[in-house]
Amino acid sequence: MPTRRQVLFACAATVALGLSGVASAADKAPLLIGVPTALTGPYGDLGEQVRRAVNFAVDEANESGGVDGRKVQVSFLDTQAKAELARQQGEKLSLGGYKILTGSIASGEALAIGPMLERWDAMFVATINKADDITGKSCNSRLFRANHPDYSDAVTVAPWLAARKEVKWAVMGSDTAWGRNSGASFAKAAAASGKTVVTDNYASLGSNDFAPYIQKITDSGAQGLWVALAGRDAINFATQAKQFGLLDKVTTASVSFVTDNTVKTLGENSKGIYGIINYSSTLDTPENKAFDAKWEKKYPGTVPANFEGEAYIGMQLIFQAVQKAESVNPADVSKAMEGTTFHTLYGQSLMRKEDHQLVVPNFFGVVGALNGQLRPLITNTVPAEQATPTPDGSCKM
Amino acid sequence: MLVQILNGLVYGGMLYVLSVGLVLIFGLRRVVNFAHGGLFMLGAYVGYAAYGIGGFWAAIVASIVVLGIFGIVLDRLVFRALQKQEPMVTVLVTFGLLMVLEDFVQSVWGKDLLTFTTPPSLSGTVAIGAVSFPVYRLVVIAAAVIVVGGLSAWLKLSRAGLYVRASSVDPVTTAMQGVDTEHLSALVVGVGAALAGLSGVIAAPLLALSPSMGSTILIESFIVVVTGGLGSFTGAFVAAMVIGQLHNLGVVFVPNIASMVPLILMVGVLIWRPAGLLGAKA
Repeated sequence: MPTRRQVLFACAATVALGLSGVASAADKAPLLIGVPTALTGPYGDLGEQVRRAVNFAVDEANESGGVDGRKVQVSFLDTQAKAELARQQGEKLSLGGYKILTGSIASGEALAIGPMLERWDAMFVATINKADDITGKSCNSRLFRANHPDYSDAVTVAPWLAARKEVKWAVMGSDTAWGRNSGASFAKAAAASGKTVVTDNYASLGSNDFAPYIQKITDSGAQGLWVALAGRDAINFATQAKQFGLLDKVTTASVSFVTDNTVKTLGENSKGIYGIINYSSTLDTPENKAFDAKWEKKYPGTVPANFEGEAYIGMQLIFQAVQKAESVNPADVSKAMEGTTFHTLYGQSLMRKEDHQLVVPNFFGVVGALNGQLRPLITNTVPAEQATPTPDGSCKM
Repeated sequence: MLVQILNGLVYGGMLYVLSVGLVLIFGLRRVVNFAHGGLFMLGAYVGYAAYGIGGFWAAIVASIVVLGIFGIVLDRLVFRALQKQEPMVTVLVTFGLLMVLEDFVQSVWGKDLLTFTTPPSLSGTVAIGAVSFPVYRLVVIAAAVIVVGGLSAWLKLSRAGLYVRASSVDPVTTAMQGVDTEHLSALVVGVGAALAGLSGVIAAPLLALSPSMGSTILIESFIVVVTGGLGSFTGAFVAAMVIGQLHNLGVVFVPNIASMVPLILMVGVLIWRPAGLLGAKA
């Protein structure tokens, strides 16, 4: 039985320890993360996924005592997926102290922000942006990518494409850096396996009417179709292509299209569509299973979707780099990120020093039923080293 | 090529139904209504809600009625109060209204994209020559034809239509002749908003529903109105049909600049006729 004096001592010690903890957290500058993302516009639903994932990561970090003893704060600004607006919002966030940036959607946004990072004394971790140039000729010491570049998707689709009997293929992409990059990568992969791209089409971002493109694809006699559309454009295209009967006539494969949200919106219209799955809540890693469970607790009845998983991985990288750097200075955090192996939802992943590309596995699959619900189902996994080939030398830091 | 021309008619028809509401409102109230895209979007969402209860036709009726009433309220509470203000004030207010409508829809239906299933009786394709064409797209053309016919009959054959045409040309003189332009304006804004709602619900089976869907199509409808001539009903029809065709043929023949073709047309027309194609005759 403890004496009265012992109890009082224990209480005093607890309070003192608690206060010292508070004082320590208060002493350290908070970790400020800026998210210039598309909260409205054709990629508005993707931006919403980024917002959910970033908020999830921030709450999770703060509930477990912060990052490196620092409180994490986040600020979102709408870019409408426009490059120029992304640059303006990135600058606004940086000037406001939110110098560690992440979460933009369109590749053009990352390519507009990238060259300004040094001047803003900021850094950027790409999580959705796919254009090869981000970690290629436009790379720089403050620019990192946690998600898969287009060339990784091309490597991932290649074995499937080689085994297909369809010879004539059409491309339907977004008229953006990513869409054109993806179309070109697919054409290269098709040529390597003896297939031909008979028509390539690129619709401007936010297109309402895809009918002329659908008719062009029908007239081309293509037997297969590669789709590089995301967000509202993807839904508009799929809805209209289904009405024309195109999706029933040709084999459709895609990137950023076979995602949980797209499948949920399209329902039966998405069944049987093949595609690259960059992240799936069905990934069989302990980290991902723990993430799924926590996500379900915070957002009951949902599973983390493709872009939510990718945005969360970006946050994991930032947190671990801040922890390693013991600083929130973007230059220090950038330094800590280079060549470091991180714990991510994919398992242990290296942030390559040469081009600042995270080396992660990639996946291919098809929309099918899982537990009575249509989901993107992984049918082929490409290991990290194979899915993220050695840098081609275009990145000069 | 026949299918591409039909596609042009579909797109032009959809743009016309939306744009003619803008023309009506501008004609009577001299308001460049930036909230019109919001009305289009609201019409699609109201239709989406009604579709679940009473099916496609109920969705059309609900959108027309709800947006029509909303238009009358909009005229009474906003446009009437702003009629003596500078044009820029009304532009800013209606732009703000667009954002309010987007936020309202977002808070009710969320930000996730929604789809509006094509009604089973109007789904499928019909054979046109050697190719197939979606039945629903023919319905859109039919709806545009009905709007063109109905609106023309109303404007040309009814007394209210006569007053609307007169007010569009000279509201002050029309009022001096004893026409109650205030009541007429409420009616016209109601009809304009109802047409925006109709265009929203007609477009819904073709498009993903999102709170910002009105902003993207608003620019295209402004191109139609400006090219046709502000306040000109016939001009809006001609411009919508031409832009619909150019949009489709542009993708076929000049794919790299297809999205710029309507803008090039507008700039060309404005250089040639600053009042628009038929603006002077309105």
